[in-house]
Amino acid sequence: MIELQNTSRWYGQVIGVNDVTAKITPGITALLGMNGSGKTTLIRLITGQLRPTTGRVLVHGMEPFANPEVFKKLGYCPEIDNFYEHYSGRRFVNFMARLSGLTAKQASDKTEELLHWVGMSDRADKSIKGYSKGMRQRIKLAQAMVHNPDIILLDEPLNGLDPVGRHELMSVLEALANQGKTIMVSSHILFEVEQMTRSLLLLHRGRLLATGDLQAIRQLIDKHPHKVRIEAEDARGLASRLSSLPNVISLRIADNNRELHLEVNDPDSFYEALTSIAVDESWPIASFNSPDNNLESVFRYLVEA
Amino acid sequence: MKLIDIKNLTVRYRTFTALRDFSCEIEEGCTGLLGPNGAGKTTFLKTLLGFVTPTEGGGTVLGLNIATDGRMIRQSIGLMPEQECHIPGLTAVGYVAYAGELAGMPADQAIRRAHEVLEYCGLGEARYRNVETFSTGMKQRTKLAQAMIHGPKLLLLDEPTNGLDPTGREDMLSPIRDISHGKGVNVVVSSHLLPDIERVCDRVVVVMGGQLRTQGSIKDLKHLSGRPYDVDLREPNEQFIANLTQQGATVEALKYTSLRVITNREPSESVKLILETAKNCGARVRGLTPAERSLEAAFMEVINS
Amino acid sequence: MKNSPIADLSYRHYDGPLNGGATRWWSIAKLSIQLAMKKKGFWVWAVLSGYWYYILLAVFWFVESFIPSPVPGKHPLLSAIIWKDQFSNAFNISQLLLFVIALLIGTGTIANDNRANALLVYLSKPCTKLDYIIGKWMGVFIPITIVSLIPTLFFFAYGGLSFQEYGFISDWWLLPKLVLICCLPGALHASLCIGISSLFNQGRIAGAVYSGLFFLPWFFTKAMQVVYVVLSNNDNPKGKASLKFVGNLYYASMDGIQIGVSKAILNTGGSALFPGGGSPRGTQFVPIPPPNGTAITVIFIAICVIFSGIAWLRVRAVEVV
Repeated sequence: MIELQNTSRWYGQVIGVNDVTAKITPGITALLGMNGSGKTTLIRLITGQLRPTTGRVLVHGMEPFANPEVFKKLGYCPEIDNFYEHYSGRRFVNFMARLSGLTAKQASDKTEELLHWVGMSDRADKSIKGYSKGMRQRIKLAQAMVHNPDIILLDEPLNGLDPVGRHELMSVLEALANQGKTIMVSSHILFEVEQMTRSLLLLHRGRLLATGDLQAIRQLIDKHPHKVRIEAEDARGLASRLSSLPNVISLRIADNNRELHLEVNDPDSFYEALTSIAVDESWPIASFNSPDNNLESVFRYLVEA
Repeated sequence: MKLIDIKNLTVRYRTFTALRDFSCEIEEGCTGLLGPNGAGKTTFLKTLLGFVTPTEGGGTVLGLNIATDGRMIRQSIGLMPEQECHIPGLTAVGYVAYAGELAGMPADQAIRRAHEVLEYCGLGEARYRNVETFSTGMKQRTKLAQAMIHGPKLLLLDEPTNGLDPTGREDMLSPIRDISHGKGVNVVVSSHLLPDIERVCDRVVVVMGGQLRTQGSIKDLKHLSGRPYDVDLREPNEQFIANLTQQGATVEALKYTSLRVITNREPSESVKLILETAKNCGARVRGLTPAERSLEAAFMEVINS
Repeated sequence: MKNSPIADLSYRHYDGPLNGGATRWWSIAKLSIQLAMKKKGFWVWAVLSGYWYYILLAVFWFVESFIPSPVPGKHPLLSAIIWKDQFSNAFNISQLLLFVIALLIGTGTIANDNRANALLVYLSKPCTKLDYIIGKWMGVFIPITIVSLIPTLFFFAYGGLSFQEYGFISDWWLLPKLVLICCLPGALHASLCIGISSLFNQGRIAGAVYSGLFFLPWFFTKAMQVVYVVLSNNDNPKGKASLKFVGNLYYASMDGIQIGVSKAILNTGGSALFPGGGSPRGTQFVPIPPPNGTAITVIFIAICVIFSGIAWLRVRAVEVV
């Protein structure tokens, strides 16, 4: 488990991370934020590459900075693409395995296991210089996992992968999470992140803006009442019926006269009322949904506030 | 006149065949180019630009022959490359104006239009700064501007949203959608991020293994037969599923608390049935929409078939 | 829509003229020249490069003002000057400064483009590799040639007007020969710069390599000059026999080649400003005769072609997409 206690880190006058307190538990956590919000700094603090200027970072109760005990439990898959280009993929992963303390035999066994797992067994003997982006990502993942860490941190792992590669990586991460590992993924590709997890940590200009479950967070954004979109044959009729409901804040009829766009507070009771109205009063409704109940909308609301 | 008309194109690099008997027709409008890494998308784009001489077959782009009129094609097309590229030492305006001059515009026209295009792409005062000081989002938009400056009728965009955060993605996709719908510029977007393709394109071309896998409108690809419905619940409710199944519906559990329900009845009947059952079982329905495959799911199906 | 009081400022098309490919190289060269002119150092060194001419003008003024002629009419000191040799001297002396200018404006060109991936931009437009190389070459050739030409032509005009009585223009071929000579540094530096620049990703490293390539032979040839002087003043017959060989070695460097070709064109070995003056033996100016004209010209052209060829090969039609 990872704990951050009032952690701050700045570089000269530039703030990286500002007074962040959070707990990261086993499972997949999404680390989100605009470019420059401090995500990479946070990851570097956790992996022990940086020392917090104030506050503490604790990984399994120990401070990670220059602490080999912690490094054994951490796997890090960075965003940057720097390798020893003249090494082959196999040699590189083996090297990283040896670096984390495995014996020669253990290292070569684990290397083969992981290369097989990321699907690179047959291609790992060519030098890294000629690898495509997807192949590099796989090697990065393999080296992050080769010493069987409890905690895995991935910085933009989905970047540059085609949809097939993304799905494979996501199933790998899900399998690992089910084994009880703590996984933190930092990514901009929100629709993919949403598939993996609902538990998020949102940074904005170095400060912790939101942490926890997506649904819970959505509930609390008062400034943006929940949007509801209803499609019905007689939109205007339905509109006048719904306008009497107390939690409807605004109603808009779309151009095509078949859609209603509403804003409501307390969506739970609204939907209950809507279901009752549809069933009891036999209002023909074609469809309804909440267009802003997804990660992208929540992100936008939180960040632009 | 078709925008792009390729017939039986085969491209061979020494022993490696990148495109094999590839035929496709791309119509006007905004088309997405999809395919796994290494499928031949890159070679296809290079051939469209007239860089690669076909081993067999050929085609036309905007009526110009790809084998012989490479230079004319590059004057009528704009390319936004995937990698970072700029001219060292220039401001954004200088860079875009220079790109215009390289495309054949007279110098005074180039500067005038550079300002227009940069304004359209959302770079306000920043256009007077050196490109090397820009953030990723601004660099990408400048790349888009330099592709558009000479007023080409066809734009080729290679991974335009690569590395952008969610706001940056929106800033990039809105001009692309705007230009291709109503302003008369045709766009071909190659990307791995399928929701972005969905946002701007109407049609897609899927390339795999050097051949055309499928092409068609996005709407058609997403269509699911059987008129299924996607039901979003507030929390899981077993009784709801049991009741529906009892009444002859097929229920499939999707991510989190979503269900896909096929009732084999008319749409209005389906809605009624689902809502009634929900009311009776106390299931809280938050969304009820006709189910569509996501473009990503459709793509995976095409690839794996 | 056209008469609406509110203008539609969203995207509009460009349907204006588009030039063909013939002027593409000029756009590229123009950019290099503009970037060069922005550098303050360029102007400083450019002005300094003609300093032999400034010295000459100062000397003439001094002679005319303070050393009256013992004989009425022509001044004997001035009559003894071999004018074309002064151009040769000016040319020789400007070599170092022209090199500095080339270093400043030339070595960064293709190297910086490599680092910024600029070739992607060039090749995605209707612009071929040939346009690019010619444009870059011209972008170095034109500024250096102009820097070399201006003081030369200015002095030529001044001399033609002021010193005609001293036989300034004895040979009307002098003017075209001077123009030709002034093109030499431009051509050589342009070829060398784009060749070396294309090999690296950083302008600084290209500059360092170019400096090495210039200075190492330069020390060698200066040493040869000393050896030549020593041998010619010495009466050792074996020394005299190898004099010609040493003399040719004097031209074995970047500036040496240019000096060699220029001397071959002007057909002179150089001379002191006031020849025949009574300096003690050992400090006299010893002219080094020009090398074989054809041979040195061939070497010059070969170097230009080889380095331009290096640039051509290195600038790969990069994977644009």
